[in-house]
Amino acid sequence: MPTGSVEDLLRPLAPQVLGALVRRYGHFDTAEDATQEALLTAATRWPADGLPEDPKAWLITVASRRLTDLLRAEQARRRREDGVAREAGRWVAPPADSVPDDADDSLVLLFLCCHPSLPPAGQIALTLRAVGGLSTAEVARAFLVPEATMTRRITRAKQRIRDSGLPFAPPAGAERAARLDAVLHVLYLIFNEGYASTAGERLHRPDLCAEAIRLARLLHRLTDDPEVAGLLALMLLTDARTPARAGPDGTLVPMAEQDRRCWRAGRIAEGTALVAATLPRGAVGPYQLQAAIAALHDEAPSVEATDWPQIVALYEMLLALHDNPVVRLNHAVAVAMADGPQAGLALLDALGADRRVADDHRRHAARAHLLELAGEPDAARVAYLAAARRSMNLAQQRYLHARAARLAG
Amino acid sequence: MKYLIMLYGSQRDYDVMAGRPGDQPPMSPEQLAAMHVHMEAIHKELAETGELVDAQGLSAPVHARRVRLRAGAPVVTDGPYAETQEVLAGYTMVECASFDRATEIAARFVNPDAEGEYVDVRPVVDGIEELQG
Repeated sequence: MPTGSVEDLLRPLAPQVLGALVRRYGHFDTAEDATQEALLTAATRWPADGLPEDPKAWLITVASRRLTDLLRAEQARRRREDGVAREAGRWVAPPADSVPDDADDSLVLLFLCCHPSLPPAGQIALTLRAVGGLSTAEVARAFLVPEATMTRRITRAKQRIRDSGLPFAPPAGAERAARLDAVLHVLYLIFNEGYASTAGERLHRPDLCAEAIRLARLLHRLTDDPEVAGLLALMLLTDARTPARAGPDGTLVPMAEQDRRCWRAGRIAEGTALVAATLPRGAVGPYQLQAAIAALHDEAPSVEATDWPQIVALYEMLLALHDNPVVRLNHAVAVAMADGPQAGLALLDALGADRRVADDHRRHAARAHLLELAGEPDAARVAYLAAARRSMNLAQQRYLHARAARLAG
Repeated sequence: MKYLIMLYGSQRDYDVMAGRPGDQPPMSPEQLAAMHVHMEAIHKELAETGELVDAQGLSAPVHARRVRLRAGAPVVTDGPYAETQEVLAGYTMVECASFDRATEIAARFVNPDAEGEYVDVRPVVDGIEELQG
């Protein structure tokens, strides 16, 4: 059987195998290594030998054996270093209502990997490996860092989980909401990393977007939280525009100029259905609002036909929840589309006083666009060049320079 | 009367069973299968005679956790045993007519090919009053 389909089969099994091991034997960090090795063995053997009758059971058996091996080596080493005893404030019984099953384990793993005690880079890397089933090499490639760096990052994150003695149980009560927010944020960061890398040559890394969507689907299946549905919808509706985002030569195409016929209708349908099903439930949070905005863009046949006043209203709701300068930038552009470029420019100029965004290339690029719309090509050109100087992304720089050159006439 | 037959093994014995190369030659798959067949046959027989209460095997000693209290708080040590330390590996509880019968059953659990191997048989108390000499 082809290698690609073996991988498709293995990735969803990864958290189930790891969950089974950690639940039975503990040792999150070592069990994670053992699981990775079992996945690797399967990836090399199954294409040649065919699938075992029960792939999951096969993986659990191989991973358990490997875990025993790794533990022996570790404990022999540790004994020589004088046995390390761990404080056990963690032997708290899991909540009585938690029914252990695979789905539950994947969720517990997500909560563990995205624990707030880990640095964001560690959360992301560990989530992709432990829950996503990606190898360290794959994670390293996705983030354009050397494999040795990624190995250290993952190892450190796992050690921190081990040393913090977190129980293998889902967080309960008031803590759950905060921990779920952390999980959502990590998935959001993974998607963003794939969608627009802040530095480097490649504008789009589809693997990470696909992986983030896959994990968000998993989370959506496991929880009934409207913000999870919102995040999944936001990813789908954003990813829908991918085929139109770059020209044949790799240049960036802004949404206003994208060929909307290239947008993925299936993604749009799924995303808008999620938004429609979730928003009326109340408990509206930032991911649902952003998804609603993305849905309005995706459903519009053209820029002009977009419901800009509605988008302005949604941005204002977002700002009421959380005053964020990037949201203010987007809000300014929406205001310009609804009420004319001068209204937007006034808001952007006011944002020049906000240190967090005054020098951000996005503020300058937005100003340039609006100046162009307002019929001020000279000022627009200066603003495009100012934005290009401040951007870290080559594709963006090329785009901004091209816009400036067009106005040089 | 109930008796507990206790079988012992060290991490090294488990390694031999798992076919891991080490200081001792690993068990072949055939030897391991023969051992399982032998154990199953005994337990099946005990089930038929109505003498079997329960039988369980334990995972490798490397997976053990030792729990102590230090200043009132539990402290946990992972895998506390040395490589060659013999620890409980499994047990069979029987209910039978006499200690001698239990001993007769227990003798069948000892591998004749393993020099020095032993099992222990211990009577189970009926209640706390038995312990109050």
